[in-house]
Amino acid sequence: MGDMVKGNIAMGEAAIRAGMHIYCGYPITPSSEVMEYLSWRAQEAGRQFIQAANEGEAMYMVYGAASVGSRVLTASSGLGISLKQEGVTYMAAADYPAVMINVCRYGDGLGSLESGQTDYKRETRGGGNGDYRNIVLSPSTVQEAVDLVYLAFDLSEKYRNIVVILTEGALGQMMEDCEYPPVKEVPFYDWAFDGKYTHGPYPSQMAVDLHAKGMKNNEKRALITENEQRWEAVGVEDAEYVLFAYGIPGRVVLGIVDELRKKGEKVGIIRPISLWPFPQKAFDSINKNVKGFISIETADSGQMLEDVALYAKKKGFGNVPCYFISSPPGVPKSKYVLENFEAIKAGKVKEVF
Amino acid sequence: MAKGKKAPEKILRQVPFCPGCGHGIIVRLVMECIEELGYNDNVLIGKPVGCASLLDNNLAVDTFTGAHGRNGASMTTIKRLKPDMLVVSYQGDGDCYNIGFSETMNAAYRNEKFTVIAVNNGNFGMTGGQMAWTSMPGQKTSTSVNGRNVELSGMPIRVPEMIAHSFDTAYVARGALFTPAEINKTKSYIKKAMQAQIDGVGHSLVEVLSPCPTNWGLTPLASMERIVNELVPYFPLGEIKNKGGK
Amino acid sequence: MKEIVFAGFGGQGVLTAGLVLSQVALFSGKKATWMPSYGPAMRGGTANCTVKYSDSRIYSPGQEAPDVIMALNIPSFNKFINMVKPGGVMLIDSDIVTCDTSVRSDVKVVKIPGTTIANELKNPKALNIIMLGAMVKLMGDFSEKEAIDGMNDMFGKKGKNKYEEANTAAFKKGFASV
Ligand SMILES: Cc1ncc(C[n+]2csc(CCOP(=O)(O)OP(=O)(O)O)c2C)c(N)n1
Ligand code: SF4
Ligand SMILES: [Mg+2]
Repeated sequence: MGDMVKGNIAMGEAAIRAGMHIYCGYPITPSSEVMEYLSWRAQEAGRQFIQAANEGEAMYMVYGAASVGSRVLTASSGLGISLKQEGVTYMAAADYPAVMINVCRYGDGLGSLESGQTDYKRETRGGGNGDYRNIVLSPSTVQEAVDLVYLAFDLSEKYRNIVVILTEGALGQMMEDCEYPPVKEVPFYDWAFDGKYTHGPYPSQMAVDLHAKGMKNNEKRALITENEQRWEAVGVEDAEYVLFAYGIPGRVVLGIVDELRKKGEKVGIIRPISLWPFPQKAFDSINKNVKGFISIETADSGQMLEDVALYAKKKGFGNVPCYFISSPPGVPKSKYVLENFEAIKAGKVKEVF
Repeated sequence: MAKGKKAPEKILRQVPFCPGCGHGIIVRLVMECIEELGYNDNVLIGKPVGCASLLDNNLAVDTFTGAHGRNGASMTTIKRLKPDMLVVSYQGDGDCYNIGFSETMNAAYRNEKFTVIAVNNGNFGMTGGQMAWTSMPGQKTSTSVNGRNVELSGMPIRVPEMIAHSFDTAYVARGALFTPAEINKTKSYIKKAMQAQIDGVGHSLVEVLSPCPTNWGLTPLASMERIVNELVPYFPLGEIKNKGGK
Repeated sequence: MKEIVFAGFGGQGVLTAGLVLSQVALFSGKKATWMPSYGPAMRGGTANCTVKYSDSRIYSPGQEAPDVIMALNIPSFNKFINMVKPGGVMLIDSDIVTCDTSVRSDVKVVKIPGTTIANELKNPKALNIIMLGAMVKLMGDFSEKEAIDGMNDMFGKKGKNKYEEANTAAFKKGFASV
């Protein structure tokens, strides 16, 4: 039996266990417990911790830390992650790994303190200039958050790519039992700066053939797309409607689908765990006669819905209508989702795509 | 510059700055100090965005590509994670004092144990000579075509003094390059700044008044004269703070 | 699956009471979730948390239709009385929630003089544990011993063993009051 642990704290502990060497960040609700916890836990575990003057500075600290080959973590929320974006794109240009946790709060600008999923587009497209992609993983339970943080460091290093854990205020704040993986002691990566010029002028951004590097990046992204799609699916083989939801809405909708199927309704769910790469392979087992795709997000507009529609087209479901259910800030209420689903089935709602 | 002396072994080739530019001399001084202190194989230079972006393919040392102005943050973690490495942040004045003011001051505020070399050429050389916080009152630049109006843009900034008087750092100095004697003094400041880092005393910063003949629209010689006559009276030379070694 | 809301003023220990119940559920081999109110929902000094426990996977951790609500002040009673599931229970400290409680005919209101009991125990801070004892009895899912062991296990792990005796006494009083 595990103990009840808060999502934010569980992610902090998972980072320590995954061999994180250093944390750099700036507090913001609802992510702050990650850094509050690490402020003492990192020291206890012989790791480092810095409270930066702002999120931008924190990200350039991450950039420096990655350059000498350390496992580095930052966490923030909403607009805090916005401030980091220049650093993120610099890191992409240098092929540096790092893990960045976004405990998403709902809204534009200062937004709110409430839980939301309004950052999907930024995280999956990359919020900075240029043509990079971050790997984006989204948990729906505290246990999954722990497992994904652990995985994130490995993927980040494997592909030399930033991995974003996109979670929500609700998951960061809630408690659930979880089992922690073992503590890893990870040495600094050996491709990094060691002060001896071992790797020559790496990573020089002045002298590279940018297009050639871009083509190599495309190969890397194709490899990630092939290897790293993750999702949970229930009932899609015979579904008349397939619902898409990730994170906290993902688990809520799983419950709805479970209940409806017990009543004999042919409805299925795809819960993406990797948001980039989007789990397009999940479409392969969907009933060819499906009547509609529905994305349920804690956001004003259908952000993931655009990916659902894009991959539906790619996978031969181009004529299947794609609907959106916008759930207000917080944890979606099953009753609300069900009512909206009924309205869609009754033809009272127009598809978005 | 130590004339006739063999160039430091870690300078692969001359960095292609404009003729008469101060950057070339300062880079050479930095590399000489690193070599003389025995750190050729345990050093990282943080390069900025600015004319000194050209550094990394010409120096045979680990060179970190800083984001514009943000080396104060990146050098912080590099030095903390690699405490035995000599970490030198080489920055232009626009990089270090304009866009990077927050990072520069915060690193000094925390007394991070790395060394900053700040090249004060009074403008943004790289991007065509726009006004910097160090541009002089009345100075014509491409964003102050009628001369810098300090009523609207403030008086030129003296970051070394701010740091020396506000924060508990190890070493702060300002040097220039207009005579061999000044060059030698500047070199001694740079070396002491690095020594303060090596001894773990704390943060160190050396500002160097540096000519930018191209954007000043002056000959190399007239540029040096401008430094003596116009800049030194406002930007006094010498050590501003020296906590001494351990 | 059971859904319980704990609500009251910040400082009355409602979040802790909820956490203890979730930990007791884990202790007896069930799954549990604990979701606090935070941010804007916390303004005005009221706090609440939602606990769910079940023998199988818990889908939504959020407030849906609580089986039981514990309200330790009048604002909480007013806020939550209409949320209780038909046939559900509203558990109140009758010393504090002195308003008219006959609002819904389909909800059973259980009144415990929690503050009086706490004063008798000379332990006013134990109100949350007394009410939790009553709650556990009402739920009928855990034995008294199971619950007390689970509670003491949790506080023990937090290094708060010294309150074990007082907590046990408070829990027993609450359990016996229903
Ligand atoms: C975020 C960002 N803004 C603007 C620029 C454009 N830029 C490049 S270098 C520079 C100024 C450099 O001036 P300084 O630091 O004084 O260096 P110098 O070339 O004078 O040595 C500017 C504004 C940039 N690269 N990045
Ligand atoms: S523009 Fe000015 S600072 Fe830049 S290389 Fe030329 S002279 Fe030097
Ligand atoms: Mg300049």
